[in-house]
Amino acid sequence: MPEESEIRGSTRRELLLTGVTGLATTIIVSPASASDEDTELIEHLTGKIPTESDRVHLAMPRIFPNGYTVPLTIEVDSPMTEDDHVKLVRVVAPRNPLIQVAAFHFLPQCSQPRVSTRIRLAEPQHVLAVAEVSDGTLLMAKTWVEVATNGCA
Amino acid sequence: MPRIQVPNTATKGEIFQVKALISHQMETGLRHDSEGKVIPRKIINKFVCRYNGLDVFVVDLHEAVAANPYFEFFLRATESGRLDFIWEEDGGGVYSLAQQLVVS
Repeated sequence: MPEESEIRGSTRRELLLTGVTGLATTIIVSPASASDEDTELIEHLTGKIPTESDRVHLAMPRIFPNGYTVPLTIEVDSPMTEDDHVKLVRVVAPRNPLIQVAAFHFLPQCSQPRVSTRIRLAEPQHVLAVAEVSDGTLLMAKTWVEVATNGCA
Repeated sequence: MPRIQVPNTATKGEIFQVKALISHQMETGLRHDSEGKVIPRKIINKFVCRYNGLDVFVVDLHEAVAANPYFEFFLRATESGRLDFIWEEDGGGVYSLAQQLVVS
């Protein structure tokens, strides 16, 4: 009996160790590299490094059954004056076969940096919204969306 | 075919909502027909809202905008005049609508 439990224990320990190691790897490496990947992706697309900002609001359902028409609303906090306005907002879906979704251009005094539309998502992923402000800086927000069907097939 | 929903009148400085929709397949170029051949891409690639000749809201559309592209956006009423809505399709097709806006 003690022998058996020792064996069982060691097996469990091994499993546990593997589990913990696996988990640690996931926790430490995955989110950091994911966010680096997003930053690199945007840098590759635009030539500029984005910073995550709570001025950019990207609203999408967390879970949506149909990848063909996923609703999306973007709003950026901005006075929209000549000196300080949002020039454009890009939407990027990094796990779609073609990652660029749309770019929305605004005009100071005339339009609000606020838009709603519907997009296609191929698989569950972080959707990115990147606003380019008149001083040239890029402000980014992202949100996780889980889709059940591939909207790009 | 395109459709818009926009007010006829507004007060100066008011922010008003615009809804624009066009019936369109938005063929991505990623799909194959029953013989395995790629169905060529044909999407609406640009949408422009022009207010008295000024491009006040423009969208560059890529393949991942859903079929029947729909946009809801917000403009500031600056002066009376004309709003033009233009959709440009791959291959050069253009669809458009126009509406007068009275600003008081």
